[in-house]
Amino acid sequence: MLKKADINKFIAAVMNNGYKVFGPVKQEDGVSLSELKTTDDISFDYFNFILPPKRHFFPWSELLYKYKDKTIHEAPLPEDKTILLGIRPCDARSFSFLDNVFIDDKAVDPYYQNRRDNTIVISLACNQPLPSCFCTSVGGTPAGKEGTDILAYDTGDSLFFEECSERGSSFLKLYSKFFSTPDQADVQAVKDFIAKAEKQVLSVNIKNAAEKLKEKFYDSVWDKLSFRCLSCGVCTFFCPTCYCFGLYDERDRRIRVHDACMYKGFTLEASGHNPRPTQSERMRQRIMHKFLYTVENFGKIFCVGCGRCVTACPVNMDIRENIVEVIG
Amino acid sequence: MGGTESIENKLKDAVKDLFLKKKVDIVIGFEKGSLPLTSRPCFIRSSDMAERLVWNASCTNNLAVYLPRFFQKVPRAKKSGTPPPVVGIVAKGCDARSVVGLIKEKQILKENVVIIGMSCQGVIDRRKIESFIDGSFIAGGRQEPGGILEITTGVGDKKKIKVSDVLAESCIECQYPHVENADVRIDGESITASDDGYKAIKAFEEKSPEERWQYFTDEISRCIRCYACRQACPNCYCKVCFAEQTLPRWIGPGDELSDVMIYHIGRIFHQAGRCVECNACVRACPVGIDLRLFTRKLCMDVKELFGYIPGLSIEELPPLLRFELNDNNDFITTG
Ligand code: SF4
Ligand code: SF4
Ligand code: SF4
Ligand code: SF4
Repeated sequence: MLKKADINKFIAAVMNNGYKVFGPVKQEDGVSLSELKTTDDISFDYFNFILPPKRHFFPWSELLYKYKDKTIHEAPLPEDKTILLGIRPCDARSFSFLDNVFIDDKAVDPYYQNRRDNTIVISLACNQPLPSCFCTSVGGTPAGKEGTDILAYDTGDSLFFEECSERGSSFLKLYSKFFSTPDQADVQAVKDFIAKAEKQVLSVNIKNAAEKLKEKFYDSVWDKLSFRCLSCGVCTFFCPTCYCFGLYDERDRRIRVHDACMYKGFTLEASGHNPRPTQSERMRQRIMHKFLYTVENFGKIFCVGCGRCVTACPVNMDIRENIVEVIG
Repeated sequence: MGGTESIENKLKDAVKDLFLKKKVDIVIGFEKGSLPLTSRPCFIRSSDMAERLVWNASCTNNLAVYLPRFFQKVPRAKKSGTPPPVVGIVAKGCDARSVVGLIKEKQILKENVVIIGMSCQGVIDRRKIESFIDGSFIAGGRQEPGGILEITTGVGDKKKIKVSDVLAESCIECQYPHVENADVRIDGESITASDDGYKAIKAFEEKSPEERWQYFTDEISRCIRCYACRQACPNCYCKVCFAEQTLPRWIGPGDELSDVMIYHIGRIFHQAGRCVECNACVRACPVGIDLRLFTRKLCMDVKELFGYIPGLSIEELPPLLRFELNDNNDFITTG
């Protein structure tokens, strides 16, 4: 247990040991995941961050190498020791999904891997799920431990810390002087907390979605479903598990930048042909990729139920309704 | 009495009537959204579907954004030569001006559009509601007669908020709430036209160039370049946007601030004398950048320099589409 009043001391000690700490910082337009300059910046008054935290491991725009004097200079590997504090369990779960993609048996992305290896994730269980949340329908829970090193529960005056990985436990050992042992009441408080939060999450019936989607590739449902979509890409940019990127050569460098299957240009070929010419094929790709292809490739639905796409979509395309409409 | 509910019923009846008289093939309107206190675009294809229509202060989208796609060649359509459908559109004052703009810019056919002009009482800004409920979220809500929103907050409190207290800035500043070119008119109470003399813009102009540049820089550096602002805007119908053109490539695709700024400066200038100040770009922006301030400034300039207001008359061509010898050219500086 850590008294909230003592969190400053704990964070200060962590910072003193050379960690950059990113956590919930109050800003004009809400609380965002930003670097803490001082320990006073921290605010636990938030539901979830507007932007998904994937950017910490997989930045929006990233230098891969520079060309200079006819040689290629690879970008140095990121070495900063980092703490991500206050990540919600759904988002923490997305990290373990991204690991499947970027730290694969066949290919490893060294930039991603280095960032992951140098980062301790301290997530914060949800006490207040939003109307857009549906983590429990896709295998998560408001107190899920997947993808995190340490899970904290906000029990009012204190934070209850639970170790979720070896890295997490050895990290906490270093700072044990800040923590007290929880008593029976604390443990009960945590249990109540989980039960209450879980009950509040909306449930969506997507049983056997992958099986059913296999039959739907040529279905006319996509045309009907997608007509409202503006192909704006916000849903993919805001999705914590979307990982597509494009490579671009600029004058003296190569960068990679997030890209999204919802864009018309995503599949545009040099000849001018576009195999996904309308939002219908694009919507199909997004849903198929998340609920079928990743199940085939990684055994996982690539959706953590954070609901960001639901709230951020300018025309309220709600993936919870969409998937049900497709699989019937 | 004059509430949005009776307007909603009138709208349903009018749309049913349009289908029964075979005057439309499709109507773009609003239905209830999936989150509390939201509405979203819907496409009505028969008179029985008209029951889905809603009309209230959460009908925020500018539906004109969907019109061009009915008149473009659909890549997968096998048959060519099928005539375009007749499309009805539920329109607020700003939306109707977008429709007129699209007609003038030859993106849609005037004969094939039926404007259903709504009496507009303005639409809500969800961010304003959220600030009213002290950092909680909207867990439930509905609009009651008399322009009152009944909100249930995340902690279970019930709150009554007046629509007029949480109106979008664009509605507070709206000069043309009345639909000029309606084919069908749904009457009811409407907001009064504002005549604030572009107060916010004038105040912005008063600032020093450094302050204005700083504001622009701060706002734009939050942009994640998703292009939702462009996709939500009825004026942004270009098949290939300069921002994504590759031959030549005008701007880099990454997060360099100068690239992001050029996208925005380009988009803003392409709106000169075209932006109808509907706020669709601002609402679509997932990080909440106030883009309308900039496009509005250009529309104010065009009004002052050329006396032109976008989307009011179908006949008058916009300054970017015409040339006259006595055109104002004060802004050209020499030597
Ligand atoms: S849903 Fe689309 S953008 Fe997201 S990972 Fe899949 S293909 Fe990429
Ligand atoms: S956010 Fe909505 S409108 Fe934009 S691409 Fe996604 S589904 Fe389509
Ligand atoms: S620029 Fe923005 S406010 Fe202007 S017409 Fe387009 S979407 Fe509406
Ligand atoms: S919608 Fe907002 S974040 Fe997206 S490109 Fe436009 S200004 Fe940038």
